[in-house]
Amino acid sequence: MRRDLLVYGGAVLVAVLVGLALAAGGGAAPDVAGRALWDGMFGSPYAFGSALNTTAVLALIATGFTIAHRAGLVNVGGEGQMALGGIAATAVGVSLPAGTPAVLALTALLIAGFAGGALWAGVAAWLRVRRGVNEVITTLLLNFVGLCLVLLAVHEEALLRQPVTSADTLPQSEPLVEAARLPLLGPPESPATIAIVLAAVSVIVAALLLRHTATGTRLTAVGMSEPAAARLGLPVGRLQAGSLAVAGGLAGVAGATLIATVPYVLAEHFTSGYGFTGLVVGLLARGSLTAVAGISLAFGLLASGGINLQLAAGVPAASVQVVQSVLIICVAGAVIFRKGAAR
Amino acid sequence: MSAFAELVDGGVRLAIPLLVASAGELVSERAGVLNMSVEGIMLTGAFAGAVGAHTTGSASAGLLCALVAGLLAAALQAVLSVTLRADQIVTGVAANALALGATTYGARLYFTEGRTVPGFDPVALPLLSDIPVIGPALFDQSVLGYGCVLLTVLLAVLFGRRTGFGLAVTAIGADAETADRSGLPVNAVRFGAVLLVGVTSALAGAHLALADVHAFTDNLTAGAGYLAVAAVIAGRWRAWPTLAACAFFGLAQALQFAAPAFGIHLPTAVLVMSPYLLAVVAVSGLVGASRAPAGLTRPFAREARA
Repeated sequence: MRRDLLVYGGAVLVAVLVGLALAAGGGAAPDVAGRALWDGMFGSPYAFGSALNTTAVLALIATGFTIAHRAGLVNVGGEGQMALGGIAATAVGVSLPAGTPAVLALTALLIAGFAGGALWAGVAAWLRVRRGVNEVITTLLLNFVGLCLVLLAVHEEALLRQPVTSADTLPQSEPLVEAARLPLLGPPESPATIAIVLAAVSVIVAALLLRHTATGTRLTAVGMSEPAAARLGLPVGRLQAGSLAVAGGLAGVAGATLIATVPYVLAEHFTSGYGFTGLVVGLLARGSLTAVAGISLAFGLLASGGINLQLAAGVPAASVQVVQSVLIICVAGAVIFRKGAAR
Repeated sequence: MSAFAELVDGGVRLAIPLLVASAGELVSERAGVLNMSVEGIMLTGAFAGAVGAHTTGSASAGLLCALVAGLLAAALQAVLSVTLRADQIVTGVAANALALGATTYGARLYFTEGRTVPGFDPVALPLLSDIPVIGPALFDQSVLGYGCVLLTVLLAVLFGRRTGFGLAVTAIGADAETADRSGLPVNAVRFGAVLLVGVTSALAGAHLALADVHAFTDNLTAGAGYLAVAAVIAGRWRAWPTLAACAFFGLAQALQFAAPAFGIHLPTAVLVMSPYLLAVVAVSGLVGASRAPAGLTRPFAREARA
């Protein structure tokens, strides 16, 4: 435990130092850069609200990652699963009749998102269980296919592209019907939607599932030793496939929440790397859902702060990306210094 | 130039960086180290090459900078995945994010006016370049392009399946413990293999920046590094199929631009996704058995007992 604290503390220290160096390189004094970062996180209801929306997306993906990881699987495919979830959610969200009650519309949207993501992860799960293909490679490759499917969907009128009326028609879908848009949480000028509530519920349910149910114990058993679990009579294949599908499903829901927030359309690159960041959150949290919640919030705040860092202090927003990756590399690289570190 | 010749020309131009990068990655993966960071090292190489060429005004100096930067980036990856036994996929993806962030940041600060840089111009080989269609495509490359192909051939010969080097690498990737007991320096070879990936990936990146577009733009590589890794997987860890995969990926990319000339109206997205789809099919074992090196992504430490 003490070593863990040392590693995390050291990693954060290194990351902060790198951040300061980058801010100085960008020509901003530390206090100016710090001020801009802080304002971008907590300075306005808008900034904090968008940070919460990002947090929700990351937490959903990282929760799914943690569930699959408990069964010994590494889901690198969050990005592609988000993409498929987003496509499915858009397909539902633009075609619902106008008078649909919001509760029904939102439920349909989220279920579609879950199904899209679960289906995409299901491909990798099937290959893993039936043919023993390493899920890391398949989920990674399927990311790129999924992102291309978004490209395809928004460029083809036969699929989800809005009707082309002039040369200026953007390659994106029609906006979702009113009822399928995520309601805002309430505070004025805050873009925060109920996605954060959804994410919080998922984290809590997943924590209870993994810790207090027979399914959780079975998943842990499979994760610790497949042969031993099989000898105990556990349905190893079904548990693994199920956990990976749930991971994909949660990533799909994350994609659906992105579609159902402003500007309510499916567009190219709407996943914008959240899938990979969510994976990183899951890895850093190392199986603890409390850590998932905390790290998601920290990364969500950092992302929002980074945008303001560029706007207010003129430091390229890319520096936040650098700081995050330095953090990951330090934590991942210190694995042999941690006693009994689970790999 | 006919549409067909243009397609072949574009395909070869896009395939060369993939080819050289996957040649290094193939050796490394056969030794048991998966470098997701090919993408990041390529980007680093492209950026360093562009900065070097821009500062000195000489493309060769730029190439040197690219190689040094590539080696440094690869050394970081090697320390992480071989010495510190960190998760190779995680650190690889993180290294890519780091490279993307750092080069974007660096480019903002460095390239304040214009992003074009001096580069390598094509040198047409006499006679050979007069062969119709494949002549201009294959034998009208830059010095850097020829260098990439030459290095690829060299690596293929040196690390073939029947040479001493090749056997040693395969043995280490298949079963590190046994290889170690039989006296092979497992971690030294793996470290070297990652450094080799640094050289080949940096060359690939430099080719993109200095011989192809003659400029540096944010995220110049745009996934080419992942394609190189996908080519090795799609080629099922064998040299010839990997070469074929690279050629196919290059042509698929070139077809995006050439398709209208053939009257083919495939959506771009279908062409962009085809390499990845092909790689998925290849690893899924739907067409023949796929044999990944048994020790791929498994770090080795002598005292470790599984």
